[in-house]
Amino acid sequence: MVPVVKISNLDKYFGRLHVLKDLSLEVMPREVVCLIGRSGSGKSTLLRCINFLEEPSHGCIEVDGIKVAGGEKGKKHRQLVHEVRLKTGMVFQEFNLFPHMSVLENVIEGPVIVKGMDRQKAVDLAEQNLDNVGLLFKKDEYPNRLSGGQKQRVAIARALTMDPKVMLFDEPTSALDPELIGEVLNVIKKLANAGMTMIVVTHEMGFAREMADRMLVMADGELIEDSKPADLFSSPKDARTKALIERYRSGEL
Amino acid sequence: MNIFSKKQNIPTSQAELIYEAQTSKERRFRTNVGLSWFILLFILVFMFSGQDITFGSTTLSGIQIDTAFMANNLSFIAGGLGETIRISIMSIALAMILALLAALGRLSTFPPVYALSTFYVSLIRGTPLYLQIFFFFLALPQLGIILPGLIAGVLALGLNYGAYMSEIFRAALSSVGKGQREAAIAIGMTPSQTMRRIVLPQALRFAIPPTGNEFIAMTKDSALVSATGFVHELMWRSIKVGRAQFHTLEALIMAAMFYWVMTLILSYVQSRIETRLSKGDR
Ligand SMILES: Nc1ncnc2c1ncn2[C@@H]1O[C@H](COP(=O)(O)OP(=O)(O)OP(=O)(O)O)[C@@H](O)[C@H]1O
Ligand SMILES: [Mg+2]
Repeated sequence: MVPVVKISNLDKYFGRLHVLKDLSLEVMPREVVCLIGRSGSGKSTLLRCINFLEEPSHGCIEVDGIKVAGGEKGKKHRQLVHEVRLKTGMVFQEFNLFPHMSVLENVIEGPVIVKGMDRQKAVDLAEQNLDNVGLLFKKDEYPNRLSGGQKQRVAIARALTMDPKVMLFDEPTSALDPELIGEVLNVIKKLANAGMTMIVVTHEMGFAREMADRMLVMADGELIEDSKPADLFSSPKDARTKALIERYRSGEL
Repeated sequence: MNIFSKKQNIPTSQAELIYEAQTSKERRFRTNVGLSWFILLFILVFMFSGQDITFGSTTLSGIQIDTAFMANNLSFIAGGLGETIRISIMSIALAMILALLAALGRLSTFPPVYALSTFYVSLIRGTPLYLQIFFFFLALPQLGIILPGLIAGVLALGLNYGAYMSEIFRAALSSVGKGQREAAIAIGMTPSQTMRRIVLPQALRFAIPPTGNEFIAMTKDSALVSATGFVHELMWRSIKVGRAQFHTLEALIMAAMFYWVMTLILSYVQSRIETRLSKGDR
């Protein structure tokens, strides 16, 4: 089997700050990978390098057969980056719905504007995805009339309507009130069960333990652990992982 | 009688009492301000009424103005209202385009574009509007460029306001969060699609109230164009009839009233738009 995402020797610098250090990773089709690590360890930067919201300094990103070398310029590079973005869906901590568009308009924006899809076809597709996240009845509302949990579910539907090969979630429930976290996690679980490949940065250990095929632990720009959730929690290899798990157990994170 | 229903009629909590006192104080303040406005207006009218008023030994006499002149020339001066509004609308439209371009130029990483934007803003803000107006009306003809009065006026006002309003559009563009652009880029939008579909619509909405303020200011600054004699707006007309019949005082009073009422109406419309926009928040 070929991996959906293949990261080879990725380096990322912010000025002098070395944030990702020679990092390599493969994610197989249908795999659910949960990524944990302390604040500032580089989790967001890793996700953002995959869809080139951050340009990698060195190394290679390959998504569904599209291989892009980081740190290059020019038209060819931009075209490849565009193709990679079409194959990845991203969900942000802060939802980032477009406030001047209704829920439905948010969801069809990508297919219609980026892919040039026929509007009616996009609407059908969008309604199907909104139905899947349980928000078809809100399609004509504007985002400011939705709860945080509803916004995030719309954001998921928006990403899905682009028909991505892999979904990247960057702490999708961290901005939510505790009582709204469940509804978003349920949507993500449903998506995982439907076979979507995904990388999820999360602090929700219950979710990770239940859904993850693999757990990755990040520290200082390196992946220090890559194991099954059961193994990670019972016998962490690295002292930093142990400390991290202790902090989750004590409810600090 | 039920103990709860009795309680409801009297304000009970301390907070409620303070709130009551505060709102009644605010109400009283507003009533008194309204009353004072009315008195000031009355004094202003009296000053130009030609009537005498006696307090004991002192007599105040109002200025005698020629109401017949005013009545005769009302329609001529009022005829300039349309021209004032027309030049203001055209100028603000040009100013908005220039301001947006200048603001976008400031965001550019291409040095010549960035330089052009800052150069334009610096040059215009560094020279008087009055000079700029005369440049278009009187200096350009020396080079053989003779523009129709309205066009010259619109160019001068539009260029000038565009430079000042570039700050508004800069703030408007930066009011759109980074997350918005990232969400657009993540679904595959190109930079120009992101700008047109996501950033600009939100930025323009943000820019509407301050642009309204500039428009109101513009209706009055358009009076400067009258000095060139080529645009027959409110100010030009009142000066013309005033001078001709030695009744500039009356003519200016009339023009002032037109400007004032126009400003009041526009300010009202402006505040309505502002509350509408802030309520919708989308
Ligand atoms: N645009 C940027 N410019 C400069 N430094 C940055 C930038 N983005 C991130 N960093 C730095 O890179 C490091 C990794 O940041 P990153 O956001 O990837 O961490 P994270 O693991 O996602 O943390 P958190 O759990 O707080 O979200 C941090 O030290 C951060 O300060
Ligand atoms: Mg992060």
